[in-house]
Amino acid sequence: MIYLDNAATTYPKPKQVINTVATAISKYGGNPGRSGHSMSIQSAMQVYETRQAISNMFNIDGPENVVFTQNCTHAINTVLKGYLKANDHVVISCLEHNAVLRPLHSLKEKIDITITKANVYPMDNDRTLDSFRQAINSKTRLIVCIHGSNVWGIKLPIERICALAHQYGIKVLVDAAQTGGLCNIDIQDSGIDFLCIAGHKGFYAPMGIGALITKYGENLQPLIEGGTGTNSISPKQPELMPERLEFGTQNMLGICGFKAGIDFTQKKGINNIFKHEMTLIDIIYEQLLKIKGIKIYTPKPDPMYFVPVLSFNLSNFSSEEVALKLDKNNIKVRAGLHCAPLAHEFAGTLSTGAVRICPSVFTSQKDIEYFIFILKKIAGNLI
Amino acid sequence: MGKPLIMLNSITYAIKAKDILFRNGIASYIERTPHPERAMGCGYSLYVPDRILEAQSVLTAAGIKIIKTDLGGKSK
Repeated sequence: MIYLDNAATTYPKPKQVINTVATAISKYGGNPGRSGHSMSIQSAMQVYETRQAISNMFNIDGPENVVFTQNCTHAINTVLKGYLKANDHVVISCLEHNAVLRPLHSLKEKIDITITKANVYPMDNDRTLDSFRQAINSKTRLIVCIHGSNVWGIKLPIERICALAHQYGIKVLVDAAQTGGLCNIDIQDSGIDFLCIAGHKGFYAPMGIGALITKYGENLQPLIEGGTGTNSISPKQPELMPERLEFGTQNMLGICGFKAGIDFTQKKGINNIFKHEMTLIDIIYEQLLKIKGIKIYTPKPDPMYFVPVLSFNLSNFSSEEVALKLDKNNIKVRAGLHCAPLAHEFAGTLSTGAVRICPSVFTSQKDIEYFIFILKKIAGNLI
Repeated sequence: MGKPLIMLNSITYAIKAKDILFRNGIASYIERTPHPERAMGCGYSLYVPDRILEAQSVLTAAGIKIIKTDLGGKSK
């Protein structure tokens, strides 16, 4: 099986992650942060070590500023619904995922926020930045931007967007679902106020775990309230992080797997993983150009401006038909709109969708050669 | 007479505080706060057998919010 759907979730998971999760279910059976017995404390130590690994990786002071969430969408919702107030204005990029669009749409209906979309110009960061600048108005309180497009792989200049936003006292939320574990992100250097990540993509962790990383968590209204194991007499959610934004029992297996995934990516080297995947994307791009009927929507992916995600279409076939034919040949890709209608609107593919491919650290050049071989057969109506 | 304890807000801060004390050469042990009503409900404390006042100063200097320090009959 050739798995090229790593933008949806990475597969396979590294042995270290699998073994850690298996160990965790038998060894860390106590509920972390709830009891005083040794097994509960041991579980809590594992949770803390994962917080620490994440805070070190993204260079934020204090493991308490790492909030575990179900996924990146949950982290994004926590910020949008916890930070925005009535009549606030928000600037978003034209490549945002439904994880951003849907909560904002809901807030627009409920509390009358306004939203302006800033255009992104691939490989022209000056123009992109100018577009963000023009979108800002006196009511803007938040800029939301995806770090790497989950459809086109376009990378946004988040450091420059943060610098621009901070000139006007505006906070920035970065959706790093596709780039966490794949690109170096330094919160202090970049100035990101709210960083949202997924564990199950670039970190090779199990599905169902993500994180919000921020030093402004205590200013957010909690999305959900409930038991935290602390301050139990009070009917109010604790004010201190991370308990302010965490509730109920944690995803212990996901958290342990997250730590193992971080260790895995760090051992491999984030830069090495990125380089490997970009090399494969480069090969795919060159080969796609040679196939009659292939339509590509982005320039040749330059590692300065792109992450290893590439989407295309094949004339005379719908994107779903291509994905189905690939699946029949044991090649896994994702077609359609990828939960990102805005990104498809940007490229003019809203009505057609596209076929998306994304390699991982485990993808080989041989895998890519076979994918191209099969794609050529599909294009030639041979299968 | 009780144990010398530093009561903290959460397990996260208890582990963080324990780490900080360890780096400062002060041994401590995480325990559930024995009298939750004194600390506004369930919580975690650090049992600091020795140098509790020094431990308190170290944690305060590190920005750790302490709910209460119980000297447990120790004067220093």
